[in-house]
Amino acid sequence: MAAVQETIDQVRQIDVDQYKYGFETVIEVDKAPKGLSEDIIRFISAKKREPEWMLEWRLDAYRRWLTMEEPTWARVAYPKIDFNDVYYYAAPKNITGPVSLDEVDPELLRTYEKLGIPLREQEILAGVQTSKVAVDAVFDSVSVVTTFKEELKKAGVIFMSISEAIREHPELIKQYLGSVVPTTDNYYATLNAAVFTDGSFVFIPKGVRCPMELSTYFRINEKNTGQFERTLIIAEEGAYVSYLEGCTAPQRDENQLHAAVVELVAMDDAEIKYSTVQNWYPGDAQGKGGIYNFVTKRGDCRGHRSKISWTQVETGSAITWKYPSCILRGDESRGEFYSIAVSNGHQQIDSGTKMIHLGKNTSSRIISKGISAGVSQNTYRGQVSINRRAENARNFTNCDSLLIGDKCGAHTVPYIEVKNSSAQVEHEATTSKISDDHKFYVMQRGIPEEEAIALIVNGFVKDVIQQLPMEFAVEAQKLIGISLEGSVG
Amino acid sequence: MLEIKNLHARIAEDGTEIIRGLNLTVKAGEVAAIMGPNGSGKSTLSYILSGRADYEVTEGDILYNGESILELDPAERASKGIFLAFQYPVEIPGVATMQFLKIAMNEQRKARGEDELTTPDFMRRVKEAAAKLKIDPAMLRRPLNVGFSGGEKKRAEILQMALLEPQLCILDETDSGLDIDALKIVADGVNALKTPDRAVIVITHYQRLLEYIVPDTVHVLYKGQVIRSGDKDLALELEANGYADIIGEAA
Amino acid sequence: MNIQTINRLTPAETALVEAYTAQVGELPGDGAVIGTRDRLLDDLKKSGLPTRRVEAWHYTDLKSLLRNVPAAAPTVSVDAIAPLVGDAQLLSVLQGTASEFVAIDGVEIAPFAAALSDGSAAAGLVALDKDDAIGKINGSFVRDGYSINVPAGTSVDAPIEIQAVHGAGQVHTRFPVTFGAGSNATIIERHQSATGEAAFVSTISELVLEEGAEAVFIILQQQGADDTHLGQVRVKLGRNAKLKLFVVNVGGKLVRQELRIDVEGEGSELTLRGVNLLGQETHTDVTLVLGHNVPHTNSTETFRNVVFDRAKGVFQGMIRVAPDAQKTDAKMACNTLLLTDDGEFAVKPELEIFADDVICGHGATVADIDKNHLYYLESRGIPERKARAMLVNAFVAEIVEELEDEKLVEALEGVISAWLEKHA
Repeated sequence: MAAVQETIDQVRQIDVDQYKYGFETVIEVDKAPKGLSEDIIRFISAKKREPEWMLEWRLDAYRRWLTMEEPTWARVAYPKIDFNDVYYYAAPKNITGPVSLDEVDPELLRTYEKLGIPLREQEILAGVQTSKVAVDAVFDSVSVVTTFKEELKKAGVIFMSISEAIREHPELIKQYLGSVVPTTDNYYATLNAAVFTDGSFVFIPKGVRCPMELSTYFRINEKNTGQFERTLIIAEEGAYVSYLEGCTAPQRDENQLHAAVVELVAMDDAEIKYSTVQNWYPGDAQGKGGIYNFVTKRGDCRGHRSKISWTQVETGSAITWKYPSCILRGDESRGEFYSIAVSNGHQQIDSGTKMIHLGKNTSSRIISKGISAGVSQNTYRGQVSINRRAENARNFTNCDSLLIGDKCGAHTVPYIEVKNSSAQVEHEATTSKISDDHKFYVMQRGIPEEEAIALIVNGFVKDVIQQLPMEFAVEAQKLIGISLEGSVG
Repeated sequence: MLEIKNLHARIAEDGTEIIRGLNLTVKAGEVAAIMGPNGSGKSTLSYILSGRADYEVTEGDILYNGESILELDPAERASKGIFLAFQYPVEIPGVATMQFLKIAMNEQRKARGEDELTTPDFMRRVKEAAAKLKIDPAMLRRPLNVGFSGGEKKRAEILQMALLEPQLCILDETDSGLDIDALKIVADGVNALKTPDRAVIVITHYQRLLEYIVPDTVHVLYKGQVIRSGDKDLALELEANGYADIIGEAA
Repeated sequence: MNIQTINRLTPAETALVEAYTAQVGELPGDGAVIGTRDRLLDDLKKSGLPTRRVEAWHYTDLKSLLRNVPAAAPTVSVDAIAPLVGDAQLLSVLQGTASEFVAIDGVEIAPFAAALSDGSAAAGLVALDKDDAIGKINGSFVRDGYSINVPAGTSVDAPIEIQAVHGAGQVHTRFPVTFGAGSNATIIERHQSATGEAAFVSTISELVLEEGAEAVFIILQQQGADDTHLGQVRVKLGRNAKLKLFVVNVGGKLVRQELRIDVEGEGSELTLRGVNLLGQETHTDVTLVLGHNVPHTNSTETFRNVVFDRAKGVFQGMIRVAPDAQKTDAKMACNTLLLTDDGEFAVKPELEIFADDVICGHGATVADIDKNHLYYLESRGIPERKARAMLVNAFVAEIVEELEDEKLVEALEGVISAWLEKHA
């Protein structure tokens, strides 16, 4: 009952203006001119003080991108994006990369404080925060600070912004960047390869269990600015890391573009747990504004017995187009995808996963919970593919959708492809509304309708919430409650 | 009839060793009870005797009527007269019970060089045997074991045993989930099958079943070995004192 | 038409265009029908055969799978065969042309060629959407078939068997069937190759069930090993109507069976069952688009597939619940036994739901025979081969038995056993 009460309290705390991360930070910025061209890419590369080979890599991607077409297969509708009407680089003035905490503009620190992101190591160490989490904070196009770098370094873990990594660890970047999501992969990934501005780089050496949770916090602040971050995580033999990602943006009337690429590589016996709480600005009640979130996330279980687990809580963005996937290359490797996708208002979500079974005795598990409210559209799209040589592959998929109100839509589109008779693939999906009996029961006990719904929804998503690290689980539950505000009557 | 010599066996998938040097002899006409605490390897032994592919014999041998059966598949063992009454018989949707019984009985006859049963003859045999076990004929019109209650499943197993006329009957926890009336029916069914050339192995947790199917020998299985053998009094002793003493002695 | 378009046609597309040209003036139809045919063919020529880039054809790239199309050969002579069940009343279509038939008490029957000639068929010769290749092909080439009307209140006791038998060449048939209000009938639609020589078949059945009608409709596809079969069933279910639709595929080299069902009357009920037995090097695609368009309707869809040899199977099943179609209850299951590593099966069950007070779900499994089942049967002395055959049989028999009519069940089980005997 304690947990239930907690949930109710959280729902009660909800702000009237609902999206509480919608404020804007007033800070002087350094911007590239609007639009996209080879010159802009050169500008970004120069700002990042990148080596020549990196610039070439970007330009290759850009030239490729010019020949590509925007994908249209997802169930999302939006006016054509003018890619020349976007700023591709915006950074707080005088910052071109992370500095020490003391040097960070106090205005920025206040922003992250307001967002509830712990950046002050001493406070964390002094016990103001309960558990230790290392944070890489990305503000528009640059990483402004990365905490606990020294402590991590002692364990052999590299955790820094990708811009720094390109300069400091070119051999690792050359080896791994684009090795999971090739620059030619898809329209948005290719665009990202050309213009990515920052993101995080994580390297966990052989046999190391990362001593703390790592996390990156993305904030889009500037108007008309796209955020194109790139994250690369490598876990060598036997390594383990749990990584968290959070995102918010100010409330604006215009749509903003976010096209990220995340690549994970797990070698023999390595494990990567990647959790996301995505809470970009979803637009207002009339569907004006909000982030276009076009993301390519892919993990490569390159080694035997490796494991990659994606957990996502998607509550924000006007449009979400995102399919965190696993390539199960190593024998006995395992992929997991746990997802909660909440859409309300005019939001459109088309999200899911791909599990590509290539190795022997590989297994995968997909649990997806979609909740649609308002006039939103919420689609699960997933692929499970068992290669001809993938002996004894196992997949279990469960996709449940919940509809709140009769103006929204919930859709399930799984693709199952089996080419080996020793495979066992099981898929089940259901769509329904909140049971009237359940709601009546809860309300009969004196709980108002909106809270009753939040309560039941939290029960519906419990299997996924449990997969999140503790700090995120509470936040995620709260977010789901907030996202569903105003969905009744 | 059955001679198990220094048997070692493990789960094929993960290599966990379950049977660790087991020795056991069962003669024709004998009723042998195998008892033991949970996880001692009782059910595994029944699976290995019947040839389940999930287990591998790594050492030792199983002689049945003087011949090793290790290389035989489950159907070949069954055709030689080894029958396992399962603790949890699987439900097989779509396979009609009657059709299944007919095929199984005819395969048995084929192995013995006998002619196939005529349909009336088959029907008569099934009806008679079912009546003795108080099996509702409606049950036999359903798919194999589908929707049967626990007790019905156990009775259906004994029905199959009666119809297939095996030489070596292995009853794996046949008493579990049965109320006292059903237990009596099942025990009567088994007792009716006792003949001088047929052996019965009763695997059970409790003395209860052995009050109705009286064993000639009792063997205590622990950690994959027979740690003590005796006559029916051993079962009573176990009932009174539990396994701890015997296990203590053996260790 | 510019030259570039022609250049891009595949051999199969070219053969279709040529077959059409060759039959100008021969295909039945008044001005309206001919005009419609021309438009459909032109449309087909422009769009080409669908590729995997067309979502509805994702797993059946017709453009590359359809290597060639035999020339139309309306004069090939074939004979009718014995009906599936003894007492069935037979309506034969031999090499695409309706035969003389014995009148069936209380049922209005006419050759479809008549409807083409008098133009009354023109309105129905439409493609359902831009990707409806079967609608385009069949509309262009359809020569005959039967129009059947079971008048309101009529109960037809014995089943009616529409029997389409063909040899080599092209066969394009159409069967509009109306079940009047409160009527009751069972119809078997059977497609069979008589010679085993390669044929290209397209066929569309249009079923309309008016208020309170109850129908059983069975499609039994037993094409030859080299045949292409493009089948489509268009269904409209009226108020309180009940339809049991069974689709059995046990033949053909390249098969696409489309089921386009619109549930349009409150209180109606659809029971859709499918059995697909796939062997050799064949490709079989069953694609269902089921629209629950009004409130208070039920449907269950169950498909069982067995894959042997190098066969490839596809099931796409979309359940679409329209806005306001509250209280829809729709459940779909697709279970596949994949028995060889050379075979493959792709499943795309899909839910598209725009109403909230619904219970909809789908399940899909792909696996080999359950090892525990096999062991149990073997432990009773049944040899592995036989035990496997029993389990495969049981897997599909469960579906057929839902037909309830003993004679039909027995006849279909006979067809299935014979197929399994030959392929397993």
